[in-house]
Amino acid sequence: MDNLQTYLYISAILFSLGLYGVITRRNGIAVLMGVELILNSANINFVAFARFGGMNFSGQVFALFVIIMAAAEAAVALAIIINVFNNLDTVNIDDARELKL
Amino acid sequence: MNNLLSISLFLPELVLTATIIIAIIVDIFSVSNRTSKVSNYVIIGLLATLAAVFLTNHSPTTLFMDSLAFDPFASFIKSVVLVATLLIIIFTRYSNEFKGYHTGEYYALLCIMVFGMFLMASAIDLITVYLSIEVVSLMSFILAGYLKNNPRSNEASLKYVIYGAFSSGIMLYGLSIIFGLTGTTKFFAIRDAITTLDSSSNLALTLSTVFVLAGFGYKISAVPFHFWTPDVYEGSPTPITAYLSVAPKAAGFALMIRFFNQVFVDGDSLSTLGWYADVSFAWPEILGVISVVTMTMGNLVAIQQNSVKRMLAYSSIAHAGYMLMAFPTISSEGVFAVMIYLVMYLFMNLGAFFVLIYVAQKQGGENFEHFSGLGWRMPIVGIVMTIFMFSLTGLPPTVGFIGKFYLFVAVINAGSAFYWIAFFGAINTVVSLYFYMRVVKTMYLDGNPSEEIIVPPLSVTLILLVLAVPSVFFGIYWTPILNWVNNSLLFFVQI
Amino acid sequence: MTGDMLINYALGILFFPLISFIILIFVGKRLPRQGDVVGIGTIILTLILSLAMFGSMLLSHDPGFRHEASFTWIDLGDFEIRLGFLIDNITIIMLLVVSLISTMTHIFSTKYMEGDIRYSRYYAYLGLFTFSMNGIVLANNLVSLYIFWELVGVSSYLLIGHWFEKDSAADASKKAFLTNRVGDIGFFIGLMLVFTALGTFNYAEVFEGVAKGAISGTLLTFAGIGLFMGAVGKSSQFPLHIWLPDAMEGPTPVSALMHAATMVAAGVYLSVRLFPLFTPEALLFIAYTGGFTAIFAATIAITQNDIKKVLAYSTISQLGYMILAVGTGAYVAGFFHLVTHAMFKACLFYGSGSVIHAMHHALHNLKDHDTDPQDMRNMGGFKSKMPITYWTMLVATLAISGVPLFSGFLSKDAILAGTLSFASHHPQHFLLPVFGFSAALITAFYMFRLIFMTFHNQPKLPNVYSDIHESPKPMVFPLILLSSLSVFIFYTLPYFNPLSDHGWFMELIKAKDSMVPGSPSAHDIAEGMHHSHTLTMILSILVASLGILLSWAVYIKNSVSADNWSKRLDLYYNLSLNKYYFDENYNKYLYQPFLRLANRVSYIDWDLYDKYFINGFGHITKWLSSVTGRIDYDGLDQTIVDGLGRSMGKAGSSLKEIQTGRLQNYMLFALFGVIIIIIFQSF
Repeated sequence: MDNLQTYLYISAILFSLGLYGVITRRNGIAVLMGVELILNSANINFVAFARFGGMNFSGQVFALFVIIMAAAEAAVALAIIINVFNNLDTVNIDDARELKL
Repeated sequence: MNNLLSISLFLPELVLTATIIIAIIVDIFSVSNRTSKVSNYVIIGLLATLAAVFLTNHSPTTLFMDSLAFDPFASFIKSVVLVATLLIIIFTRYSNEFKGYHTGEYYALLCIMVFGMFLMASAIDLITVYLSIEVVSLMSFILAGYLKNNPRSNEASLKYVIYGAFSSGIMLYGLSIIFGLTGTTKFFAIRDAITTLDSSSNLALTLSTVFVLAGFGYKISAVPFHFWTPDVYEGSPTPITAYLSVAPKAAGFALMIRFFNQVFVDGDSLSTLGWYADVSFAWPEILGVISVVTMTMGNLVAIQQNSVKRMLAYSSIAHAGYMLMAFPTISSEGVFAVMIYLVMYLFMNLGAFFVLIYVAQKQGGENFEHFSGLGWRMPIVGIVMTIFMFSLTGLPPTVGFIGKFYLFVAVINAGSAFYWIAFFGAINTVVSLYFYMRVVKTMYLDGNPSEEIIVPPLSVTLILLVLAVPSVFFGIYWTPILNWVNNSLLFFVQI
Repeated sequence: MTGDMLINYALGILFFPLISFIILIFVGKRLPRQGDVVGIGTIILTLILSLAMFGSMLLSHDPGFRHEASFTWIDLGDFEIRLGFLIDNITIIMLLVVSLISTMTHIFSTKYMEGDIRYSRYYAYLGLFTFSMNGIVLANNLVSLYIFWELVGVSSYLLIGHWFEKDSAADASKKAFLTNRVGDIGFFIGLMLVFTALGTFNYAEVFEGVAKGAISGTLLTFAGIGLFMGAVGKSSQFPLHIWLPDAMEGPTPVSALMHAATMVAAGVYLSVRLFPLFTPEALLFIAYTGGFTAIFAATIAITQNDIKKVLAYSTISQLGYMILAVGTGAYVAGFFHLVTHAMFKACLFYGSGSVIHAMHHALHNLKDHDTDPQDMRNMGGFKSKMPITYWTMLVATLAISGVPLFSGFLSKDAILAGTLSFASHHPQHFLLPVFGFSAALITAFYMFRLIFMTFHNQPKLPNVYSDIHESPKPMVFPLILLSSLSVFIFYTLPYFNPLSDHGWFMELIKAKDSMVPGSPSAHDIAEGMHHSHTLTMILSILVASLGILLSWAVYIKNSVSADNWSKRLDLYYNLSLNKYYFDENYNKYLYQPFLRLANRVSYIDWDLYDKYFINGFGHITKWLSSVTGRIDYDGLDQTIVDGLGRSMGKAGSSLKEIQTGRLQNYMLFALFGVIIIIIFQSF
């Protein structure tokens, strides 16, 4: 448990799970959760690299910034999804396909 | 430069921040239905910012402990973004799409987006890269969905936010790997670290840079990361569509130029040709293919459209493809050409969108049929739109021709290895003739010429002229632009 | 005044009229008074600026003054074109002439064009013309000269065809445009010859190159003649003179501005500017063109009855004088005549406009639409009815006839002195002074014929006569001003000798040496002119008085009957009346053969080739085609020709299919893109 490899594996698995969720889930909120997984996998990378690479703190700082941005992004995305729900009565992103071709 | 000293060179951003705060305060304290008053303050604030951009003169340096670059190139992109923003604010005031909406915070959001683009133009640190892209994206999500009661606008913003979050996630993952490989977030340190990497890390490097490319590709809507573009452009309020097709794209190109030129290119980048020889990247081929596919895709699908707005959305994808042509060459000539094209593109594209806004108001729609016979009914609008269409096609004597001319010169001068890109670029120009001229044809040959002539109000005529006159004038006498770009073609470089 | 200041003034002079054009063309109709105030306001600003420049020129009194400013227009590395201004005394005087006459035209037109359906457009075009003409004057290089040259052509086309509902006006505008084009081809060839040899368009650099001998001999002669061809077209010299008389279809103030004072003078201005690069051979060609035009047009003017046509031919003849002066090396005299001529000829045109205006109103009141208001045979005796018009026109006529005390005498005298001195050095060219002096004689004759027929004798149509009135103030004011400017004193100050052209003008405009090696120096030419001065003066006073006397004898005393003479000289009379059948001959020997050639070619192509060749092989073809038809139609057409178009569409629509509207598909595609790039990169 105390080597870089393990963290990178975890991060890669999280990233793949996130991707899978984003691509397959129909519920908009679930898709957003997938995005969060991707972001957090990157965060794990940053912190792990910083911790094991013996580098300065920029990895941790980066992770903090990402967390802040993720929160802002989630706020905006949820607001938009609520707005969609108000108008279309659904949070299923497949139903939003009026704009195409 | 340390934090304290940086403040004085951060003047444009500070003025912009003040503008944002003033906009929010004015919005809070103003009567709810008279919120367009905010735009007056914002226009003044942005003009002040523009003045600040021109006033802050200093030799290229870095700000805030190497996280931002301060150089003429950044100032150039900032001015382009500011001009585009000012025009968009004026468009918004004439658009009737926002009727019934509270538009006070709209202007504040626009200004925050400008702030993000300022950072994009000068980012030289992975953290600022991510941060700036996210700030711009978040604001664009909200603006795209600004028409809360319009399902199309809702859908546009939904697609935009999910696609945007997804690609920034991918990019972030790529950034984290780059950080792991090099141990730093600074561009120049990354460049030095990459040169020392051995071949065992090639796969990781490839993976990470392609992930980053996906993030940039999303921002400038390059194929295959462009899919959000047509839907979002169609659903958004037209002024926002126009804005998205110009300003964030300019900032995205700026970021990309910096990233590729300063991380992957040898020596004091831009003065010499050539990618890192020891990193076996096929960048010229990859970027060349992306460029060709992007313009071809954009043009071919644009032919099929019945909505002029959607046609312009695809056309903006095609134009991103044209600008990408100059990337594989990685010469200062290529960057020069992209910068010229950004200026030229600003006039012609915003012009076409403004005509669209005006016509949609008068004719009640944005499809080709709403343009039929327009050249006879609204002579001024017809002539001006014809100028923009000629310009977007790239026919002389318009700015579009000059822009394309320098792009092609850059590609051809880079050597025979790039001729194929120029070849496809030329074919695409011919293809694009078809749908741009279709607008002109619809305006002049279709429909019944009516006796009644609609003369737009003076203010609309003025805006049209402000955009159309440069489109022709700089097509005949473009030396001022050339000089400006020449003076701005100076990057901060750390050897 | 510093040079940079002058450049700023020049920018104002150049662009104010353009601003007026832009405003009027877009919103003119919606402005009060249809926007003529905008046109008049900007032109007066222009006039003030040029007066200021003129004043500073007089104060500094520096004949060698010269200031240049240019900027890069096109910069493609090795290939660079710079445009800019050249301001010297010639420029300043010319700017004043253009803005003065243009101002007069703007003022005159307020009444003359009153109630016209395209009133604001008319003013817009005047602005465009003034802009382009000032552009020609200010240019310091051949490219901007050429650009503005064409712009002048366009605005002339628009103004001649102002009443385009009238077929004759529409035809005249086309004729003017096309005839000018013929000359411009020569101009363009000359331009390109110069550029290929010297790699620059800038006057000073071109002259430098010529002086160094970078271009010389026959090539330089051809380049010079080519450039001069532009002047032939614009200044309406033989054989491209045919457009100017027709151009009289335009409104009379326009004729005064463009077809008397400024636009036609552009050709002379060009020759004056480029004088240093003409070789002696080219100059000889120029001299004969000018001399011949002078006498040739004068002989036509004698018999014309349309008041404006007489003035038109007189203009051609006077332009011939100026060109003749350039050809004999006395180009300063030519430029001097350009300035004096601009004043009195514009005055004459305004006068004729005033007469036509009066006739028009009188005829209108009588509901007479058949009588030609421009025909001098319908006039007579207007002297008492239109005294101001009469006196001002008389002054201008005295000036053009070369009577002492008036400006025309001085400038004409200088030109004739130049020809005499030239002939004394080259006796084989004795024809040049002969042309000059006989044209002077004829000019005096026909100009007084115009005055006598219009203003003296008994009125020909008494009922019209009774309705004739003096024109309103805005039309009379330009007449008075310009006729005053036809008095010698304005050109000789600070001296008062009416018989010598010595004055500020000659002091400020000094002839420059030709740059062509081996040409006579400016000093020699001036010396020669000085020697022949007295002889010229005596001769020219003699011919002028002879002409006036003859005219008086024929048209006032009736001691010599014009009819008798015209019958006796039947052949000549008809030739002159019909303008030597030039239009007819051009039609017969140029246009018709060309059309016939076109017909013949199409006959060969259509009737012979198609009928016999194609039909002859028709059967074989039919058979062949039935065989190849399937291959061709199904194969080539369907798949390749149509197919290309269709596959384009297909490709588009199948690409369109990718845009499914499903967000998750989009992300999947993007992911595929990433994977493909990684695979491509890794292998």
